[in-house]
Amino acid sequence: MAEKRWKVMPPQALSFPQGLCGVMVLHFSVCMHSMFEPLNLSTTIMATFFGEVLSVYSRAVEEDDDELDENEEDEQIRRELEEKREVHLHWSPEVSESLKSGNKLQCSNFVLAVGQNASSFLSVHILSTANWDTIGRASAWNERSRAVTGQSCEESACVFYRHKDNPTVLICQVSCYVAEDQLFQWTEKVFDCLQHRELNVTVLSDTSVADYKTADYLGGSSAPFLRSLHTSAFGDQPVCQSLEQPNIVTGLPAAVLNHCQVHRIAAVVYQCYSDVIGPDSVTMETYKPVLTKLGRSIQLDLSPSTDALRKFVRTTDLQSNLYI
Amino acid sequence: MAARYDRAITVFSPDGHLFQVEYAQEAVKKGSTAVGIRGKDIVVLGVEKKSVAKLQEERTVRKICALDEHVCMAFAGLTADARIVINRARVECQSHRLTVEDPVTVEYITRYIATLKQRYTQSNGRRPFGISALIVGFDYDGTPRLYQTDPSGTYHAWKANAIGRSAKTVREFLEKNYTEEAIAGDNEAIKLAIKALLEVVQSGGKNIELAVIRRNQPLKILESKEIETLVTEIEKEKEEEAEKKKQKKST
Repeated sequence: MAEKRWKVMPPQALSFPQGLCGVMVLHFSVCMHSMFEPLNLSTTIMATFFGEVLSVYSRAVEEDDDELDENEEDEQIRRELEEKREVHLHWSPEVSESLKSGNKLQCSNFVLAVGQNASSFLSVHILSTANWDTIGRASAWNERSRAVTGQSCEESACVFYRHKDNPTVLICQVSCYVAEDQLFQWTEKVFDCLQHRELNVTVLSDTSVADYKTADYLGGSSAPFLRSLHTSAFGDQPVCQSLEQPNIVTGLPAAVLNHCQVHRIAAVVYQCYSDVIGPDSVTMETYKPVLTKLGRSIQLDLSPSTDALRKFVRTTDLQSNLYI
Repeated sequence: MAARYDRAITVFSPDGHLFQVEYAQEAVKKGSTAVGIRGKDIVVLGVEKKSVAKLQEERTVRKICALDEHVCMAFAGLTADARIVINRARVECQSHRLTVEDPVTVEYITRYIATLKQRYTQSNGRRPFGISALIVGFDYDGTPRLYQTDPSGTYHAWKANAIGRSAKTVREFLEKNYTEEAIAGDNEAIKLAIKALLEVVQSGGKNIELAVIRRNQPLKILESKEIETLVTEIEKEKEEEAEKKKQKKST
């Protein structure tokens, strides 16, 4: 077999203009010393800003794998990083016992709150009635987690609660950031523990009104408002109008909704668009219609005490001197 | 969609919006409420005091500033932008005094501030000022004036107006309650300003700051004790009103 020898020709010298923005593509051809195969390959290099070079490999080419082999150390580091980023579920002893014996958690209503306002809303209006047991915790370490050392701090974890009198109602508050590569894991692990028959999932999620795309001009008075998105298995009427195109749901609510659509579970996401960063009582009030709908299964504290509210509503105005 | 037309200030959107200016008006709504009332012999400015941090000197957090002896203004929006506008206005007031040997009229200084703001909506690379201002004072012929400017550089004269957070609520209250008898005397005008602010201020009198200018007198900022007294008076009047209504109903 003719030995192929590869020779890489240097790219032609191109002058980079000052203030280059956008993508520049350089082509250079790879010469083959074998006479039998035609010259038909090229590799392109992409530069997105001056000085950056990314290799973009063509799919038609069988690449030289030498450079891709990581040495042992790199592999180990990558493995450790993957382990660190793994999503861990810690259940209470009785729950883990029942899960180990193969029984999934009986669940008819699963309410997931993603974001500070959604979590605070649940804390103030539902969890304040103290009929809830903490049954578990999920931890997911990523670059945005504040805890650096081994012990993850309690506030950043996702906490699961179960109603004392009605153990088929589960609530989960997620106030930490779950990275893109952890979303699938989180969803799979959590839903593996829940039984799927007649399960109703409700997701409350916060997002900024700046992400809301609409052709009409949105005056400030319309925020905060709710939009919903549900799976085809969801038979009920959502409490607000559907999310219009081209807006999308991202992150953990999207992962959960996706999972429910694939596994034919009735699920609905209520996305709250708010113009306030951080917990705010007006934004929290927007979620009220959702829980009135959930009815008798969850008791709602419709007029929370001001102390409870104050604990969760951080007055950002105090620290910020930007506006007066 | 808005996303493509709000990057640069000098770009109109296809439907004629200048989005940066409109967004600047949103920034104004993030500031606390300020109300201005033009009476017969008095002009009143009332603001909701911003709660200061524990270690912060309260004196340095002011929403009402004097531009000259006979003109003062209250603003809502970005603190730093306000500082720049106020400095320029103050210099202009003195420059006018020296050149023309007359104090500025309220309309003149308002026009100056508004022109300054408009300039920033038409140059490239600069964003508009994120403040609205209520400018009050007396002209040298003794007429009381109240003007309001906004980030777009427009200004108008008003009998009473409010800016900042919850300005709409306060304005509606003023539309209902600004009557000739409500501003008949100095005290009544001040009470009207306090009543208007109490509609939206959460913690009552201690979060209100009030400034008045009387004809031929310099700016006076009321002490918190005076405001408390007025607030108690207002509450008593409210109770008496409620009692009268009850009696009317029962007869």
